[in-house]
Amino acid sequence: MGDPVRAVVVAAHRSVRNLIEVACQEAGVTVVARAETAASAAEACRSSMPELLVLDLELPDADGFRVLDDLADVRPRSVLVLANDADGDHVLQALRVGARGYVMKADGLRDLASTIRRVVAGERVMTPELQKDALGALGRLARRARESADLEADLTSRQRQVLELLGDGRTMGQIASRLGISPRTVETHVTSLYRKLGVRTRVQAVSRAATLGLVDL
Amino acid sequence: MPVRDDADRPSQDVVVVEPFAVVRAGLIGTIDASPGLKVVASAASAEEAMVVVERRAGLVILVSMGLAGEQDAFWLIRSIRERFPGHVILAMGANADPNAVSRALFTGADGFVDKNVEVEQFLSAIRGAGEEEVVIAGPAADSVGTIAEGIERRRSLAFRLTRREREVLVVAAEGLTAREIADRLGVRERTVTTHLARIYGKLGVGNRLAALRLAARSGLVSLRQDE
Repeated sequence: MGDPVRAVVVAAHRSVRNLIEVACQEAGVTVVARAETAASAAEACRSSMPELLVLDLELPDADGFRVLDDLADVRPRSVLVLANDADGDHVLQALRVGARGYVMKADGLRDLASTIRRVVAGERVMTPELQKDALGALGRLARRARESADLEADLTSRQRQVLELLGDGRTMGQIASRLGISPRTVETHVTSLYRKLGVRTRVQAVSRAATLGLVDL
Repeated sequence: MPVRDDADRPSQDVVVVEPFAVVRAGLIGTIDASPGLKVVASAASAEEAMVVVERRAGLVILVSMGLAGEQDAFWLIRSIRERFPGHVILAMGANADPNAVSRALFTGADGFVDKNVEVEQFLSAIRGAGEEEVVIAGPAADSVGTIAEGIERRRSLAFRLTRREREVLVVAAEGLTAREIADRLGVRERTVTTHLARIYGKLGVGNRLAALRLAARSGLVSLRQDE
């Protein structure tokens, strides 16, 4: 047997922390630090460098993904995420930042000890429903990425400038004077932008461009 | 005949695109023997596949990543996605790394199934795809996070390049000279060198090898034939 696995437990509520801690004991994992906030969680992980991080995503100061982002360079080998919601995008995001297990607090806390054991052993633990939701999110991500890359490749640099200014909420007149072109020309650019984006109004154009990641709102 | 409990449901039409005759025959036999699935056509090459899928609707098209050459699996996936967006495309490979799966999905595949999975899992992947689920069957299912990251990387790199520049880069990855690239794309050699210079500038690299390395890491081109 190697050294015992050391864990950091992060959850806002004491009752949840206690539950996790009991499950860790049962799974033969030593809890070396506890945290209640995203800020203290990152600190605890940096100072104790645990093999396992059990992380409740609902924290008072930031969502739990922040903790995993902050720890990108020193991420514990095993990460188990506890969540309130079963949103596919959240599950996918958790997988992207290195989570190995994703369980719902509503029904996943009962067999937490065995989940912890499996995650430590290198298994990926989530219900088939969550796995399916994550794949759905992956498909949407791929489609958006493809559409936006295609669209981006089709836009002229002028159209791109106009789109960005539209996203900033500028009027046609402001865009014209900013770019030093006539309002008439701006309108031509806007018309072809609408066509390429497949929309009819400015609000639709901006929201579609934001969805595709072409402008920041 | 096995009793079908879903006899009232119409069967899912499947097209198999696989270059190796024996593998193709095996796939067709396996799929046809399965309730609810029917192979309506098969093809050995991408060009053939484009012809077969053209006059049909609502297909699940199994595309083997083993298709090689100029019109490879990615070409086929992209062409089907652009010209016949109503079909479901299920890429099919063996021991594919997450990067190849990212590329297949980014290019337009709706899912990826590994040839090494059990037959039942293979068939249920086809059925799932037919119901418009995103399916990843096989070892790649454990790398969903990595696959997503790969898609984002591809997108951010693709963002910097125009469509023509991407085409030039893909052909350049085959190790052709500027003149050969020009012939292939039907443009002048001078145009190709201009494109290449612009690509290097956008990617912040000094030569073709560095550009290709960067593009390959992002999965934008493949430096070797996949599989």
